Amino acid sequence: MYIFDHTVGRRKFIKDVGVAAAATAAGLGATVYAKDDESKKTPVETIPELAVDAEGKKHWGREAGEWIPSCCNMCGGQSGILVHVVDGVAEKIEPNHWNPNNYSNISSDFFDGYTEAYGCKEGGSICPKGNAGIMQLYDPDRIKKPLKRTNSDRSPGADPKWEEISWDKALDEIAANMKLLRDAGEAQKLLWMSEDHSFTHVQGDFCTLYGTPNYVMHSNLCDVARKASFKTVMGDDRPLADFLQTNYILLFGWNPTSAIKWVHLPRIITRAVEKGAKLVVVDPYLSDTAAKAGEWLSIRPATDGALAIAMGHVIVRDKLYDKAFVENWTVGFKEYAEYVKDKTPAWAEKITSIPADTIERLAKEVAAAKAACIDVWSGPGQHSNGVQGGRAIAMLAALVNGYERPGTMVIPDKKGNKHGHCDPDETAAKTGKLPVFDERAKYPLGHSSGVYTQMFENLAEGKGPYTPKMMMCVFQNPMMSVPGSATVAKAMSKLETLVVIDTMMSETAKLADYVLPGTTYLERYDLNTHWVTWGCMALRQPVVKPLFGQLAEYEVVAALGRRLELKDHEGRKFFEVGPLSGTPIDELKAWYEDYLSNEVKHGAPGMTLDELKKLPGAVWVDKKGTKYEKYKAELAEDKLKTAWFDGEDPKAEGTGIYDKPKDKGGKRIGTVIGGKPVRGFFTKSGKIEFFAKSLADKKDAQGRPVAALPEYTPRDWMPSAEYPFYLINWKEASHTHTRTQNNAWLLEIKPDNPLIMNPEAAKRLMVSTGDEVWVESPHGKVKGKVKVSKRIHPEVVGLQHGFGHTAMGKTAAGRGTSDAVLRPTKSDPLSGQALHKETCVRISKV
Amino acid sequence: MNKTDATDTPAAACSCGAAAGCGISRRDMMGQLVKAGAGALALVAVAGYAEDAPPSVAAKAQPASKGKQKYRYGMVVDTRRCVGCRACVVACKAENKTPPGVFNNVLLDDPEQGSKVDKPLFMTRPCFHCENPPCVPACPAKATYKRESDGLVVVDYDRCIGVLDCIPACPYGARTEDQGLNFPAVAEKTPYAQVPSPEYNQFRLREGAKATKGKVRKCTFCLHLQDADGRYDKAAGRWPACAKTCTGHAIHFGDFNDPASEVSALLKTGKAIRLKEQLKTEPNVYYLV
Repeated sequence: MYIFDHTVGRRKFIKDVGVAAAATAAGLGATVYAKDDESKKTPVETIPELAVDAEGKKHWGREAGEWIPSCCNMCGGQSGILVHVVDGVAEKIEPNHWNPNNYSNISSDFFDGYTEAYGCKEGGSICPKGNAGIMQLYDPDRIKKPLKRTNSDRSPGADPKWEEISWDKALDEIAANMKLLRDAGEAQKLLWMSEDHSFTHVQGDFCTLYGTPNYVMHSNLCDVARKASFKTVMGDDRPLADFLQTNYILLFGWNPTSAIKWVHLPRIITRAVEKGAKLVVVDPYLSDTAAKAGEWLSIRPATDGALAIAMGHVIVRDKLYDKAFVENWTVGFKEYAEYVKDKTPAWAEKITSIPADTIERLAKEVAAAKAACIDVWSGPGQHSNGVQGGRAIAMLAALVNGYERPGTMVIPDKKGNKHGHCDPDETAAKTGKLPVFDERAKYPLGHSSGVYTQMFENLAEGKGPYTPKMMMCVFQNPMMSVPGSATVAKAMSKLETLVVIDTMMSETAKLADYVLPGTTYLERYDLNTHWVTWGCMALRQPVVKPLFGQLAEYEVVAALGRRLELKDHEGRKFFEVGPLSGTPIDELKAWYEDYLSNEVKHGAPGMTLDELKKLPGAVWVDKKGTKYEKYKAELAEDKLKTAWFDGEDPKAEGTGIYDKPKDKGGKRIGTVIGGKPVRGFFTKSGKIEFFAKSLADKKDAQGRPVAALPEYTPRDWMPSAEYPFYLINWKEASHTHTRTQNNAWLLEIKPDNPLIMNPEAAKRLMVSTGDEVWVESPHGKVKGKVKVSKRIHPEVVGLQHGFGHTAMGKTAAGRGTSDAVLRPTKSDPLSGQALHKETCVRISKV
Repeated sequence: MNKTDATDTPAAACSCGAAAGCGISRRDMMGQLVKAGAGALALVAVAGYAEDAPPSVAAKAQPASKGKQKYRYGMVVDTRRCVGCRACVVACKAENKTPPGVFNNVLLDDPEQGSKVDKPLFMTRPCFHCENPPCVPACPAKATYKRESDGLVVVDYDRCIGVLDCIPACPYGARTEDQGLNFPAVAEKTPYAQVPSPEYNQFRLREGAKATKGKVRKCTFCLHLQDADGRYDKAAGRWPACAKTCTGHAIHFGDFNDPASEVSALLKTGKAIRLKEQLKTEPNVYYLV
């Protein structure tokens, strides 16, 4: 077994001497009882002990081979893992006990009983997906060779008529296409999309040096509405719930024990409940998290904001809020109080379908709790009114002093690796400054990951600032993951060249001109700054060589960069010279190791990649641990010396403080509050904002004025006589998005995604469990298999997202139901969040 | 509005997902496990376990004192911590290399009795390694037996001739037939196809003379991870795969013969119950509800 031995600074194995031979010496044989012997007490025969294969044990047992520490990437959660590799075969994945992400999100819990030899006290966990990584690696349906399309018909369903080509030919031709664009001064016409956790920095650098502003990432399919909500209210775009130390957990549309996100969540949530915390889950579906709750509130979709506002009404009306906190650390309370004055529980009952007396009671309970975690995720977030709803929820937390104290929402310390700065040469700088194709500036709370829906809509309809010609699509399957598959297909057909890098022949890959075989996370590198509340960064490293001799994605990027001879503004050939060593490095993998080493060295760990590899579990953990009430901290002298003040008078109340001038990319580091330079909250005012002045003069992407208060407005698309049901979707522990439905082990635990329907609705439609139905919206029509359950709101039908593939692999194709085809290609008009939940459908028996 | 509460209607059959069915009908489970019902049963348990150890355990401890049974391995599964994620099910597949349709453990998620909203009750179900295992006398080949050293119910694949009477004999559905199916990664001869199953330290491949096709498969408590003295070691990772990965830390494993073990301590809380006590199988897996 893997343990860390600091005396030799590396992993070592505890050997069980002679285990194999002796294993059943302890077995002492066996006793068999006669079949009809009632007493079953009298042994009638002793039979030989079990045979043991000592050779097999020596070769394949736990003490054989190597246990290599790394990080999972079955989803974005990036748990620490240990991979058992024998003879170059990864045979088993287990939790990495040195990685906090597998255990707890607060340091006091993680360090309690931690030892360097064994890691955290109880040992970490990994989820079913993490355990099933082996099947992702050894999926026989993986793409093995670069492929080139020979069929000019690029419509969905057309046979691409692939031709296998060599890596050199593929890279030469792709680079040549890129060069044509760049030489014509049209580098901006390359769109590059990627996953948001893997080798993003090197892809970003490529786009900068090549000269396209169009590097977009997965986040806007995920939680940018939540990010916008919290950011505008309390200045951080991803506060984390300190569940373990709380007394009260109120979750709006989040399923953390099943969607998991981070594998420490099931542990810290069930532990909180065990210690007496009340868990309340607001969701139209009784999620697996709601199954662990003391109370489930079956809410009408997209009305969570109204519920939060009405709870705010009760808390303000009865003066139950934390007066000192509200007075000292918030702005706009007066306006908020005025707004919620007539938003009574009775008002909210009509909107949410939750009884007024329940709302009254919950508001009082949450206000009485010593520490409450009030959190919201993508349930409410993926509707057109998601950001304002999220803001109302974030403000509810503010009323009860629900930030930065133990047991509340804590701002994480994001210390980790540092992305090195790279400046483009003149050619690239020119096109790199052009407007982004997805028009994200139209979205007042837009995210740097872009707006996929707007990008595809523009491309499909010939809108936007120019006409893109080429796309690199890395580890993304927009045909399944972006709402509105028809729009995505139409958009792709407008491109001159589509290149997809993926491990599987996805629905998107089937539309491509070139497909390059990707690597799984077990075949490549990455650095993972973990989502716990204090500094923590771990290494993902190749535990096996790429199975088909393929280049890892970052090597493809570097190889293309070399072919294009991309240089930075100092004329340095960026993809040839190691950024840390400063010397040319010929081998692509070695170059990338130097690139990563540079990021670790200049980041918080301050060490080289090799030094990181030698840490227990290959994870760097900041000994300083979780800090609370950071907003009260005065800025340190050395920071103030170089600080830049956003205003004439550096002592004026509310003056923003930056690490360097704002126009030079300065980062907010504090605010003058009470005459002192303190960290504060990173909002405009430096305090929590119930009323966001900065939003008051803005327009949303549809040209409508933005409310500075968290005003409740119904979502854009409401049920009608023609389409009477809300259609929602969710994640479960069994699968990740649209990418694991060919994983044989995961299909064993969840083979498809039935459409969950309330018995009332089922009765009306005369359908029962197992029946096939048509699910139809104005955008498409798909078949679903009904499962009748009282777990869902009577006005709602819903399913686990991700199934319904037509490609990807032999097992995935034709299994379950895709909801993407039913949805419009739309985003929320504030943050650009894709609307995965805003659809109404009608249902009829097949 | 809907709110979870406890008054009820039981419904039909098991939904564990195991091909062969888990063998625990909803009725059985609900009668014994769910809050209202379990309340009554738990009371019985409390009464029965008021002393230091459950009577069955105390009784069975006797052979050990005679120097034969060194360990009595078992589990205490805390259903309150189980989130139904099925990491245990996949970890078991990963550890034991069980083929499609073979489930050494399953996750039960039947609705709680009395729930107006079909609220599921999650619990993992390994083999219970019963004190009186009904599967043992069902085997005409004497291939399945209870080990004296540690109480584990095992299958000797070399003796198993595929009669499969043990499958219906188990009241908990803990056994499945190995139908010889293979996952694509094995069937299509990827590098993973060369990895054998470590079960019983026998390292069998899916093909060839040692293949287990047609034989019965079941949970072994990962006994291949025991050391030469039959001991497990959690810190060293030599611990049943399901317990090692559990995201809610719900699966407690250990030796009931060791009064200092975590599982022994948990039993003394008096809230542990076992399934189908009336059958007198005396499972070595307890549930906290």
